[in-house]
Amino acid sequence: MFNRSRSNLTTWFTLSMGSLLAIFVAILYLREARDRLQTFDRTLYNISRIMAAGVEDYFYEGQQRTDLGNVPVLGSDTLPLSTDLFFARWYTQQKRLLQFIGPVPPQRLATPSGFQTLTAHPRLTSAPLHLRQLTLPVYQEGRLIGYLQIAASLAPVEESLRQLRLFLVVGVPLELGAIALTGWVLGGKAMQPIRQSYQQLQQFTADASHELRAPLAGILSHAQVGLMEPVDPQEQQTRLQTIADVAESMSLLVSQLLFLARHEGKLSPDMLQTVHLVTLIHPLVEEHTLQAARKQQTFLSALPNELLLVQAEPDLLRQALVNLLSNAYRYTPEGGTIELCLLHQSHWAVIHVRDNGIGISSEDLPHIFNRFYRADRVRSRQTGGFGLGLAIARQIVEAHGGEITVESTFGKGSTFEIKLPLLQKVR
Amino acid sequence: MKILLVEDDAIQLEPLKTALTKSGHGVDAVQNGETARRLITERSYDLLVLDWMLPNVSGIQLCQKYRQLGKSSPVLFLTAKDTIQDKITGLDVGADDYLVKPVNVMELLARVRALGRRSPLWQGDVLTLDDLELHLMTLTLRRHKQAIQLSGREFQLMEYLMRHPRHVLSRDQIEQALWEWDMVPESKAVTILIHRLRQRLQVVGTEDWLQTVYGMGYCLSVPEPAKP
Repeated sequence: MFNRSRSNLTTWFTLSMGSLLAIFVAILYLREARDRLQTFDRTLYNISRIMAAGVEDYFYEGQQRTDLGNVPVLGSDTLPLSTDLFFARWYTQQKRLLQFIGPVPPQRLATPSGFQTLTAHPRLTSAPLHLRQLTLPVYQEGRLIGYLQIAASLAPVEESLRQLRLFLVVGVPLELGAIALTGWVLGGKAMQPIRQSYQQLQQFTADASHELRAPLAGILSHAQVGLMEPVDPQEQQTRLQTIADVAESMSLLVSQLLFLARHEGKLSPDMLQTVHLVTLIHPLVEEHTLQAARKQQTFLSALPNELLLVQAEPDLLRQALVNLLSNAYRYTPEGGTIELCLLHQSHWAVIHVRDNGIGISSEDLPHIFNRFYRADRVRSRQTGGFGLGLAIARQIVEAHGGEITVESTFGKGSTFEIKLPLLQKVR
Repeated sequence: MKILLVEDDAIQLEPLKTALTKSGHGVDAVQNGETARRLITERSYDLLVLDWMLPNVSGIQLCQKYRQLGKSSPVLFLTAKDTIQDKITGLDVGADDYLVKPVNVMELLARVRALGRRSPLWQGDVLTLDDLELHLMTLTLRRHKQAIQLSGREFQLMEYLMRHPRHVLSRDQIEQALWEWDMVPESKAVTILIHRLRQRLQVVGTEDWLQTVYGMGYCLSVPEPAKP
């Protein structure tokens, strides 16, 4: 399921980025092509100007004469030009051909002034050649003396553009591939937290389902076997009691599950009120001293005199503390000691629940707050523990912006610590 | 049938064991995967009913071990794990049936009976030896027009004898087949049970079919008619 989303994401990412890339590359290419052509034209124009500068027009024996002797390429004692011209032609002011180099041109000049692109076929079998032709009217002392027409092969420009196109044709797909790969990798990274949270949810659902099915199976089996022949009223009595007990325990589990489901995330502000911690904890001390007496346990408490205020939902906070105290009671043997203290540490209110009971092993310790985690599966199932008490406590404490931690030595005891941010006094 | 039932929750284990026992099966009920593993190696069963989520050794591992040992008795998974993938895994690892908890006890008993029919020794819901019939559903012995109801233990012994007719079965074998793995019967228990069963057989006139082979054990077979 995640792979499909990831593929979709990568595809759309590649398509969009790829389109942008393709458009940009196309624009760049067109500009480049235009620039190169412009440069070529400029060079051609400069050549024509140099050539035109060599034309001498004078009056001799009653006739206007044009001497092309000093014109590069066309002239007799010429200075060779660095650029190869395909042809060069000189036409008189009357547009009549006077001199030419290259293929035989028409006798009259028919093309307008300026640049033109021509296609020439030098030989019937070879590829067509593209030429850039410049027709330049030449003036001397403000008077038109004739027309110079030159042309050069566009082959170099075409060749360099062709190479550029080849580069792009190879490069752009490679780039698209790189984009796709990047998209895939980034997509995976982005989905990581979602995937984790999804897996956690799956795990929770599987665990909850198992935990709910077990008591249901117990209830159904006891009821059906109780109805089997031969019917024994005494046995039925026992079975009914078991059914009642299991149903109650299951009801507790359902409450805990609903609680976890309802109180995900931070608490909404309208649920919070200013809570005086000592006032909140005091009744718990009394209750649990009484409870501890049932197992001959000593219950100690240390509450300060000072005013410690937190922003909290009092029932939830109480529930978290009750969960810790119940665990302490349950996992401390007869005659043990349980201690509840409240301290003020810089801007935190710190609550400790300490016991000298059976403790938690170092392999269980990192998982102890996980939902459904039971350190001792057999014993805690019999005493009705589902492994949710600490998970709920942690959810409550974290929803209040606090922290919950534990230190424990297996066989010696455990200390749970809750830190809650103190309400900063405004005045 | 002799059944091994493995389930770690005591509240679920007891009624299942009771239901199977009331149906006339001999049940070894264990909560611990390690113990179960030992039992499948050391003893023989006609059916295993396994939970999947067990502490230490899982039901899946038990089933695999059982098949690795070359044992072919049917295995039934009875578990809260309910996804299609779970069912596929369970069946592919060697189980013959897969039931999701909570299960209707009547359905479980019917499936257990169905798996019992797969046994190579199955001869129908009635075991017959000559004209003596043992009805497995009602735990009664019938011959000609007479019928007699057997108690649980008597029935188990009768079933065991009729599934292995003409075999000499030792006292040890009988104890293993009838008593739970962690119960040691009194030394005379088998003798007393044989005696009680003979009394039942007397009612239908076949008490001499259950013979004592001195020094070796007991055997159920139809005696040769006396030659004139």
